[in-house]
This record gives sequence, C-alpha cells and structure tokens, in this order.
Amino acid sequence: MYGRKASELVKELASSEPGQLSSFNNDLFAQVLEECNGHLHHLQPLMRKIQEHENKLKDTGRSEDEMGNSEDERRKSEAAKTVIQAAMKSDQFGALVHHLSLVRNKRCLMAYVYNRAEVIRSLGWMCDRVLPAEIEERLSSTEEEYFKNHAATLQSYMGGLDLDLTVDMVPPKDPYIKVRVVDDMGGVLLGDQTANVARHAIMFLRRIDAEQYITQGQMEELTG
Amino acid sequence: MESGAGESSATADDYESLMSTTDAELLKRSWRNEKAAPEILKFDSDLVLRSRQQIQLMEEMVEEFTRNGVDPLTVSLYQMDLDRTLFLLRSYMRTRLQKIEKYVFHIDKTAELWNRLSKQEQKFAKRCAGDLKNHLEQSVLSKLPDQYQSYLRQSAASEDDDMVPEPKLDAYVVCRSKKYLGAFQLDDGGDEPVTIEADDLYALPYKSIKPLVETGQIDLV
Repeated sequence: MYGRKASELVKELASSEPGQLSSFNNDLFAQVLEECNGHLHHLQPLMRKIQEHENKLKDTGRSEDEMGNSEDERRKSEAAKTVIQAAMKSDQFGALVHHLSLVRNKRCLMAYVYNRAEVIRSLGWMCDRVLPAEIEERLSSTEEEYFKNHAATLQSYMGGLDLDLTVDMVPPKDPYIKVRVVDDMGGVLLGDQTANVARHAIMFLRRIDAEQYITQGQMEELTG
Repeated sequence: MESGAGESSATADDYESLMSTTDAELLKRSWRNEKAAPEILKFDSDLVLRSRQQIQLMEEMVEEFTRNGVDPLTVSLYQMDLDRTLFLLRSYMRTRLQKIEKYVFHIDKTAELWNRLSKQEQKFAKRCAGDLKNHLEQSVLSKLPDQYQSYLRQSAASEDDDMVPEPKLDAYVVCRSKKYLGAFQLDDGGDEPVTIEADDLYALPYKSIKPLVETGQIDLV
C-alpha cells in the first residue's frame, strides 16, 4: 500500500517520548524516498499519456470541423472521442493517486525531519555546543551539521547582545543553593576564586556559579 | 529596582499604582504576555534597554556594597532582586527566540511579524531560517523529484504556501484586564458579547482579544 512506510515513520516519531530523540531511521527513510521516486516513474508516463490524449482530442475536434456533416462520420468521431476521454480519465486518476501519494510521503518525511529538528534545537538550549556522545550517535549527519550551525547562530545572537541566555532556565528563588557534586571536577571557578571540588561534596554555592555545572550534569541541586 | 524605603509612608493604593509602572513590573508584564501568546509580539526595545541599564547599575551597586563591607543580608537582598530581573529579561528574550525558531518560515514571509523583531532577532531569524532550510533540503528535498522540492509548498501544483507551520491563533488564553472594558464582541460572531470586568479572569480565544493585547488594555496570564 502506498504511503504506509511514511506513516510508520511518523508514528515512530509520535510514539517516542516528547523531547527525546531516537536513532534516525535511515532504513525506513531511504525506503520512503525510494517510494517517492517510484511514484514519479509511474507519474511521468501517465502525464505524457494524458498530454497525448488531449492532443488527440483536439485533433478529432478539428477533423470533425473539417469533415462534412455526414451523420455517419459524426457518430464515428463522437464514439472515438468517448473512448479517448475514458482512457484519459483513467490516466488522470492514476496520475492523481501517484501525485497525492507523493505529496503525502513528502509531508511525512518533512514532518519527521522537522520535528526532530525541533528536538535538536531544544537540546541546543540545554547543552551548548557539544552534544553528549550517546545523543550524537542518534543523529543523521545532516542533523549533526544542523545542530552545529544552529548553535553557532544562537551563539552569535547572544554575542551580539552580550547576554548569555542559556543560564537562568528556572526562576531564581534564592541567591544561594545547596548542591551535591556528582562528578570529579578538580579545580572549579566559583565567583572569582578557584575551589577544589571533590566528588560527593555537598556545598552551598551562589546559584549563578552552580547553574552551569547543574545543566552539564556535574552537580545536582538538593531541594527540601 | 524598587527602592523599598521611600514608600512606607504612602498608602497602599499609591504604592500599587507606582509599582505597576516600574520597569520591573512592565518587564514582568511583557514577559507574561510573551509567554502566553501563541504568536510573537512586538519587541519592547526601550524597555529592554532600560532594564539592561538598570541591571548594570545594580551589578555595580552590589559590587560596591561587597567591597565596602555592607551588611551581607542587604547585599544578598539586592543580589536577589538583581537575579530576578536578570531572569525575567533572559526568559523574555529566550521565549521570543524559541518562538522565532519554531515559526521561522512563517515569520520570515509575513512582513507584519517580521517587523516585530528587534534588529538582532531579525539577524538571528535569517540565519535560523537558512540553517533549517539547508537541513531540510539536504535531508529530504534534494532527494525528491523536481516539482516537489519547495520547502514552502507541497508541490509545484499548490497555489499558495501550504507547508509552513503557523501559530494557532484561535488557541484559548487566560487574560485579565486592570480596567472595566465593557461589552466586548468576540469576532467569531453569534455569541453574546463578553463583558470584561476589572481584575476578572477570562479564558478567550487569542485571535479575538489580539487587538486588546497589542494596545495593552488586557494582560495575558
């Protein structure tokens, strides 16, 4: 059935957890693209045929004018016209089916790529410039490219504005927060001095200092 | 931002009206509207500029306080105020950018929306649209037959751009007005006009109250 593969692609997208990426389905994606080209192969001869039929119709119309008004001839050309028209109709509908399938496949492919791009952008807000390896391997090569380009675009905007927009993602309640260090971090710049931070240490830090480490997953905030 | 000392003698009412015109309050309002509106609103460049100046001033103040050994509690209060303003500003800008990202093609081709962006945002949107277009072209469009390669239209046979995601303007938003606005006709007709009272909450389709939001008569929450 036409369009089934494309709908599988979209279903896969819809059933995945919102905001999360699964691996780019290269296989299915390529199959749908192939199906699109298949449609075109069917479509082109049909379009040609329709054109031919149209020409023929015109021809018969013209010859009808030229020929006299003999009853017999007129009936014959009338019959020929109906045959051509019927053939043309079936070709037109055939072409329409292929055209619509193609358009639908295109929409599905675009939706797949577009929605993934949306998730990729939202990742761009969370981890600037570098994607964790386990996410990166799920992207297609153009998606990686897109992520890099988009990150650069965002960076240049913030550079022009001289304001870092990737911090302060949640409204601040208190200027100081309690954090636990998850990773071995070594020397860390806190405010204007460097502190040596050991793993599992629980510290009371200025929120603006700690925030970047929290988003990178090196610290976690302790609440309550 | 708000100097807490001076108002103690003033009545609560004066205080309220004074507070509602400070930049912090205005910024909060713009931010809330931007957060709640489905489409991008006009960029308030003056307000952002003022807020940034304020922030800089406060940063200097906090620094000076710490240097001069002012009571740490006072400093931390100022710091908190500063943090909050900074958050508002960042969140405001961020919300706008995310909307631009999301509807970049739509904004790019609609002059009215395009003019609502700041200069930097326009630059950002241009690049953003370019990136996304490249990405779509490389992954899908270049592999499709010629007549189907547009990123705006489904095929060469489509009469207008029918593949551009647009914000849903008929989405319901929660809004509140500070003043009594009287009977207001929702533009989908048919229904009774809604009487908008001061300080009451209403859930209305964004499309119909759009002019009120733009003129600042009504706030989104």
